[in-house]
Amino acid sequence: MSRAGGTRDVALAVAWRGAHNYFTNPAIFIPGLLFPLFFFTAFAGGLSRVDSVPGFEFGSNYTAFVYGFVLMQASAFGGVFTGFSIARDFESGFSRRLLLAAPSHGGIVAGYWLTGVMRAVFTICIITVVALAAGMDVQGGGIDLLGLYTLALLVNAAATLFGCGVAMRLRTMQAGPLMQIPVFLLLFLAPVWLPYDLITGWVHAAATVNPMTLILTTERGFVAGDPVHVVITFAVGAALVGAALLWARGGLHSAEQAA
Amino acid sequence: MSSSPAIETADLVREFKKGPRAVDGVDIQVAPGEVFGFLGPNGAGKSTTVHMLTTLLPPTSGSARVAGHDVVEEGTRVRAAIGAALQEAALDPFLTGREHMKLQTALHGLPREQRARRGDELLGRVGLTDAADRKVGGYSGGMKRRLDLALALVHGPRILFLDEPTTGLDVQSRSALWAEVQRLASDDGVTVFLTTQYLEEADQLADRIAIIDRGKIVAQGTPDDLKDEIGRPSVEVIPAEPADLARMKSVLARFGESVASPPKAAAVRLSGGDAQLADVVRALDAEGIRVQHLQLHAPTLDDVFLAKTGRHLEGAGDGAAVEDAEPDPVAA
Repeated sequence: MSRAGGTRDVALAVAWRGAHNYFTNPAIFIPGLLFPLFFFTAFAGGLSRVDSVPGFEFGSNYTAFVYGFVLMQASAFGGVFTGFSIARDFESGFSRRLLLAAPSHGGIVAGYWLTGVMRAVFTICIITVVALAAGMDVQGGGIDLLGLYTLALLVNAAATLFGCGVAMRLRTMQAGPLMQIPVFLLLFLAPVWLPYDLITGWVHAAATVNPMTLILTTERGFVAGDPVHVVITFAVGAALVGAALLWARGGLHSAEQAA
Repeated sequence: MSSSPAIETADLVREFKKGPRAVDGVDIQVAPGEVFGFLGPNGAGKSTTVHMLTTLLPPTSGSARVAGHDVVEEGTRVRAAIGAALQEAALDPFLTGREHMKLQTALHGLPREQRARRGDELLGRVGLTDAADRKVGGYSGGMKRRLDLALALVHGPRILFLDEPTTGLDVQSRSALWAEVQRLASDDGVTVFLTTQYLEEADQLADRIAIIDRGKIVAQGTPDDLKDEIGRPSVEVIPAEPADLARMKSVLARFGESVASPPKAAAVRLSGGDAQLADVVRALDAEGIRVQHLQLHAPTLDDVFLAKTGRHLEGAGDGAAVEDAEPDPVAA
């Protein structure tokens, strides 16, 4: 078996297990689905008059504005919850089976990444259906939507690999907050409910340096059919994935030293 | 069959941060096709050694080669040659037995068309066909161990590591697992590295044994050789009349040095071996001492452990763990 073949087999096997456990255990998939659904239904409806505020400039309706954020949240938390699953595998000892049986340990990380993608895609599909049913006005065309969901997958990959690195270093479910809190802060220190220009004070300062601001602004632009900063946003997304990949690789090395 | 060792370590050491040396200069050689018993009490360093030999843990110093490959430099080749069932069966409670086989065959890269057949074959071999479609969360301890063993065999490993495979199992499950280990070694020529804290298990299964205590090998050889090192058997006698105990002790003292015994009994290690048993009986009869119970003890591995370390092996004759274990409803 070639090295690439071994990596692919391992990745597909790990991803198959992740999908199996996700779709057969409501306790696993319901929290990941409920969070973005709650944020969407609560805020897209409850704050819908925000789009009447002077200075609120967005080319579509408020439901579409909130969808941009909820999409990013679903992508990121699909990755974070996958990190929880990795930590659970280490705590239960199941990771030893993977480390022992897999000729390619990189394939294990790839398999977890595929699991994260699957979780995010499932949640995004549900949210998109709900958003369309709630009257989301999508102005973007096919290319815009391709860009929108590609960005979402980049955010998901970065979050999964970040969670993977934390889980593999600490190898306990107690690492959960360390995966969740940084992602939560990054998400909510972006212009979540209002455009960047309407935010003031320290939150504005935080949003200015937060890479999620750029990603969220471009995502919303794709929904409205008027994307901005596309090249730099994809470069930032790719850089986040690259940094998270290095972090995950270090986590794998740590796990290999202490399994 | 290759003449080079299946497993070979040289001055293998593993130190943990802020802890003692869990493994302290272990030198072992295991021949291909051999069942090698690694015997020691809890915390002796057995599992740490297995983790190093299976590439799960890098050694602090020293070297180890498994199937001819260095465990540090050639981890992928080592893992391809070995199977391992570790101390706690690492199973996913949400998967069935058959799904575990599917996962494991895929991880090992078996061709797709062979995966289901190989899985079914191994599930049958360990007596889990009827339970194959049940979630593992509902398996008994014995069933989990047998599934773990089947999983370790999916890729036909040349070397099998079993880390305390029968701890906590009932007698029936333990016997079934012993039979499978013996079959693997005798029929398939698999080298088996078996850690255990049960003397009987090591005695029954192992061609050779290494005894480890506090990270160091304290004895190594065949079970018979090790027991011969200790040498002579002992005889333990309980008098019918407790008042005769002191007199009986003086009679027994003629036949060898005194050894530990229960309060109502006396025991000596026979200086002339078991041939002296008849002389002991005649001497007691001549003194008019009636005997309630008399037993000849052949040297055991516990005697070997005692002689080498000054302590008894934890869990020696520990039937409680076995009797308390969860019964296995479908033991083979």
